[in-house]
Amino acid sequence: MTAAVLVDGLCVGFGPREVLRRVDLQVGTGELLGLIGPNGAGKSTLLRTLVGLVPRQAGAVQVVGRDPAREPLAVRRTTSYLPGEAGVYLQLSGAQFLDFALGFHRHLDRARQQRLQERFALPLQQKVRSYSAGMKQKLMLLATLVPDVELYLLDEPDRALDASVRFQLRDELLAMQSAGKTIVLSSHHLGEVEALADRLVFLLDGAFVPETRLAAARATLRRRPRVRLRPGHDVPAGATLVHREADDTLVVATDGDPMDWLRGLPAGVVDSAEIGIPRLEDLYQLLLQQGEARS
Amino acid sequence: MIAGKTFRELRWMALAYLLILEGLCVPVLLWWPDIYAELQRSSLGDKLPFDFARKIFEAVRETDPGIAYRNWVAVMLFFRSTNLVGVAAAVLFGTGLFARERENLTFEFLLSRPIARGAILWQKLWPAALCTTVPLFLVNASALYWSHCVEETLPIPELFLATLHAAVFLLFVLTLTTWVSLRLRVQAHVAAAVGALLVLQIGVYLTQRIRVFSLFRLVDFEWYAPVLAGNTPLWQMLDPVRSHGFTTWLLLATSACVLLTWRDLRRAVP
Repeated sequence: MTAAVLVDGLCVGFGPREVLRRVDLQVGTGELLGLIGPNGAGKSTLLRTLVGLVPRQAGAVQVVGRDPAREPLAVRRTTSYLPGEAGVYLQLSGAQFLDFALGFHRHLDRARQQRLQERFALPLQQKVRSYSAGMKQKLMLLATLVPDVELYLLDEPDRALDASVRFQLRDELLAMQSAGKTIVLSSHHLGEVEALADRLVFLLDGAFVPETRLAAARATLRRRPRVRLRPGHDVPAGATLVHREADDTLVVATDGDPMDWLRGLPAGVVDSAEIGIPRLEDLYQLLLQQGEARS
Repeated sequence: MIAGKTFRELRWMALAYLLILEGLCVPVLLWWPDIYAELQRSSLGDKLPFDFARKIFEAVRETDPGIAYRNWVAVMLFFRSTNLVGVAAAVLFGTGLFARERENLTFEFLLSRPIARGAILWQKLWPAALCTTVPLFLVNASALYWSHCVEETLPIPELFLATLHAAVFLLFVLTLTTWVSLRLRVQAHVAAAVGALLVLQIGVYLTQRIRVFSLFRLVDFEWYAPVLAGNTPLWQMLDPVRSHGFTTWLLLATSACVLLTWRDLRRAVP
C-alpha cells in the first residue's frame, strides 16, 4: 500500500507556542484513519498543515506525493478538506453555495452528489441564512465529499449532526473507502470513529501517543472491570472505584487479577460484569488523565 | 466564481452609490444658471473661513461663465461628490472583502479551495474596483447631458481625464481598505481604522501650513480645476519628474497596496 500521507518530524508553532511536536504519521492509500484527541491537542492544525494552510517549522510532509508547503495548489486539487469551524455564505441559497464550492474542483462524483442530496434532504433553494447548524454542516459535507479526489481530510465531520445523519455519513465514508479513497477524519464521537476507522491515532499535547503507551493503557483498562451492582451494594473489597457512568455502571480498578476478584465476590452482589474489553472512551480518558498527571 | 460572488455581494450597494452620485450631480448642474447669478451678487467669499474655500468661491464666480461652470463642476462633481461619496463607497466595498470572510468563518474555507491566493485577491478586487469606479464614469458622462440642458458644455477629453484621476484615487482608497481588511479581522475595526486615517487627512488638509502633506491635496479643487480647464494634459498628470504627476503617485500607491495585500494573503493563516 502506497502512502497517501507521509509526515516525518513535523513541528508547527504559532509564535512561542508549540502546537505540533515532532509528529510522524503515515496513512496508506485507501485507508480510513481516525484522529482522536482533546480540544487543543493539534488535530485541526495537523489537518491544516496537510492541506498547506499552516506553515511548518520543521519536518517533511508529503500529501498524495506532493509537499503542501511547496505545491499547495497541486495538493488542494487532489484533496478535499472540511474545516472544523467552517462557516457558510449566509446570503447564498444552498444550491448557490454548492455551485460555488464545487466550481473549484475539476472532477465531481455526480452519483455521490445525488445520493447525498437525497440522504440529507436539504432545502437547497432556501437561503443558507435560514438553515440550522446541522443543515449547514450537511451542506459543508456535500461541498467536501462530492469532489472526486484522492484524499479527504475531514475535521469533525459529525459536528452538529444528529445520530441518523451520522449513520448516513458513516455509510457514505465506508462506501468511499471501499472505492479506494483515503480518508483522514477527526471526531469527538469516539464510539463511531472506533467503528468506522481502520486505525486510530491519539494526539495529545501536539504529539502522537506512542504505541507502547497505548498498549500499556489498554493493559491497564483490561484490569478494570465494568460492573453493575445490585441496589444497596457498595464497591466490594479488593477494588476501588475509578468512575461511575450515567447508567450506574461502575468502572473499578482491582488490587489483583480482575477475574479472581470477580470470582471471589459473594453471590447476589453483581448484576452484570464486563472484563477485558477496553472501550475507546475509557482509553481516551485514561490517556488524558495520564497526560494531565505528567504535565 | 469568487468574482461573481463578490459582484453579487456589492451590486446593490453599487447601485445605491450610483444613484446617490447622480442625485448629487443633477440638481447642482440644473440649478447652475440661478446659482451663478446668485454668486455674482454674493459677498460671502470674504467671510469664508478657509483660504481654499475663498479660492473656490472666487473661481465659481468668474466673469467668464464657461470657465466658472467648469470650476463649478470641478468643485461639485469631483471635490465634493467623489471625495465624500466615492471615498465612502470605496471604504464600504473594501471593508468586507476579507474581514467579512473572517467574521463569517468562511476564510479557511476559501483559502482551502484549489485556487491560488493571488487569484482569490484578483477575483475579489476587480469586481470591487468596477463597482467603485464605473458609477463615477457613468455619472460624469451624464453630466455632459445635464450641462447641455443648461446650455453649457463640458470638454469630453478633460472630463474623462479628471474622472480617470478620481477613479485612480478611489482605487487607492479601495486597495488600502482591502489591505487593512486583511490585516484586521473585524469589519468594524477596518472601517474605524480607515475612517480615522481619512478624518486625519481631512484635518491636515484644513490646516493650511501642512496641507501639502494631506492625501486630499491630490484630489482637491486646485488639481481638478486646471485639468477640466485643459491646462493639465495627460503627460503632466502622469509625469512626476517634470510636473506634479499626481495620477502616477496614486497609481504607485495603489500598486503598493495591492502588493502588500497579496504578500499578506500569501502568508495568511486561518
